[in-house]
Amino acid sequence: MTQATVGAYAILDDLAIERAKSGDLDALERVYRAYEATVYSLARRICRTAEDAEDVLQETFFEVCRSIGGFRGDGPGSLTAWIKRIASSKALMRIRREKYRETDDLVEDGPDAGRRPLDIGLRLDLEAAMARLPDTARAVVWLHDVEGYTHEDIAELMDRTVSFSKSQLARAHARLRDWLGEEQIA
Amino acid sequence: MTEAHLTMEELLVARAGDATPAVRHHLEACAVCTAEADALAQRIAALRALPARRPPRDRWPVVRERVRVARRRRLIRRGGVGLAAAAAFTLAAVGVHSLRQGSVTATPDSQVAAAPAQAPGVEVASLIQQSQSLEHQLRQYDPDGRVVNARTAGVIADLEGRIATVDAGISRASAAPRTPSADQQLVNLWRDRVNLMDALVNVHVSRASYVGF
Repeated sequence: MTQATVGAYAILDDLAIERAKSGDLDALERVYRAYEATVYSLARRICRTAEDAEDVLQETFFEVCRSIGGFRGDGPGSLTAWIKRIASSKALMRIRREKYRETDDLVEDGPDAGRRPLDIGLRLDLEAAMARLPDTARAVVWLHDVEGYTHEDIAELMDRTVSFSKSQLARAHARLRDWLGEEQIA
Repeated sequence: MTEAHLTMEELLVARAGDATPAVRHHLEACAVCTAEADALAQRIAALRALPARRPPRDRWPVVRERVRVARRRRLIRRGGVGLAAAAAFTLAAVGVHSLRQGSVTATPDSQVAAAPAQAPGVEVASLIQQSQSLEHQLRQYDPDGRVVNARTAGVIADLEGRIATVDAGISRASAAPRTPSADQQLVNLWRDRVNLMDALVNVHVSRASYVGF
C-alpha cells in the first residue's frame, strides 16, 4: 500500500463517499484530495511527460465525478481500486494516442534494441531506466509489478492478449537488468 | 528445460508461483538463475519503493468547472426535450397565424438579424432551425470529451447557464395564450437562444482550433 493510499483511508470515510456519490462537490473534492497523488503518481509512471500525467489526472477525476453515482463498491479500498482502474485506462489511452512518436512495443531482445543509444558502461538509476523503456513496456511493468494487476487485467486494459503482456514484461525486465547494475538496485 | 539457464519469462512465472517442476528444480540447483531471480525481486521491490509524485498544479478547479458545465449541459438537454415540444407548439400556434399573412419559407442559414420584417411564425421557424443546426454543430465538437482550461470552462458555464434560463423562458412563453406581444416575446427568446448558441459554438471552435483538432 502506498503512502497516498494510506492517506486516502485516513481522510475518507463511508459517509464522505456516500455524499460524493450523491454529487456533492465538497465531498467530490475530498475524494480528489485523497487520491490526487495516487492517480498522478500512477499516471506519471506510465506517461512520458508531466503534462500528459496532469491531463490524465484531470480526465480521471472528471470521469470519477461523472460516474461515482454508479460506483457499487463499499469502503475506501474498493474505491481506490476503482479510481486506479480509471486512471490506468486513461493513462493507457494517453500513451496510445502518443504512439505515433516512435515504435513502441518491445519486439526484439538484442543489445541495441533500446529506445536511445546508451554509452557502454553507463549505468542508469531505476527511474531513468524505466523512462528509457518504450511506453507500453513501461506501463506493463508498472501495472503488473507495482499496482498488482494480473496479465489478464493488463490485456483487457490494453486491448491486447495475455501473452503480449507477459512477453512485454519479460522483455522489459531483461532490458532493465542489462541497463541496471545489481549493486545499484540493492 | 534443464541445461540452459532460465529465461526472464520463466523467472517471472516462477516468481508468480506457477513454475513447472523442472523450472523449480533448476532454480534450486542453479546459482546463476537463483541470483537472477533475487535481482528480479530486488528490482521489483525497488520499483515499489519509488516515491509518490504530487501534481505540480492543482487541477481540482478545472475538474470542478467541467463537472458544473456537464451538469448544466445535462439540464439543457433535459430542457431540450421540453423545448422541442415548445418549438412544435410555437410553430403550430404562431405559424398558423403567420401563414395567413403570406408565404412561409424557412431559411436555416440566414442571419438572425436579417429577418426583422418577417411575420413571427416565419421568423420563429427560421430561428428554431438555426438553433437546431447550432446544436448539431456543437455535438461535432464533442463538448463532454474535451479538456478545457478553467477560464474557457467558466465562459462555457456562463453561456450554458444563460441558455438554460432562455429555454425556461421559451417553455413558459410557449404555454401562454397567443397574443401579438407573446409572439414577439417568443421571437426575442428564440433569437437570444440562437445568439447564445452561436457564441457557445464559437468558444468550442476557437478552443479546437487552438489545440489543433
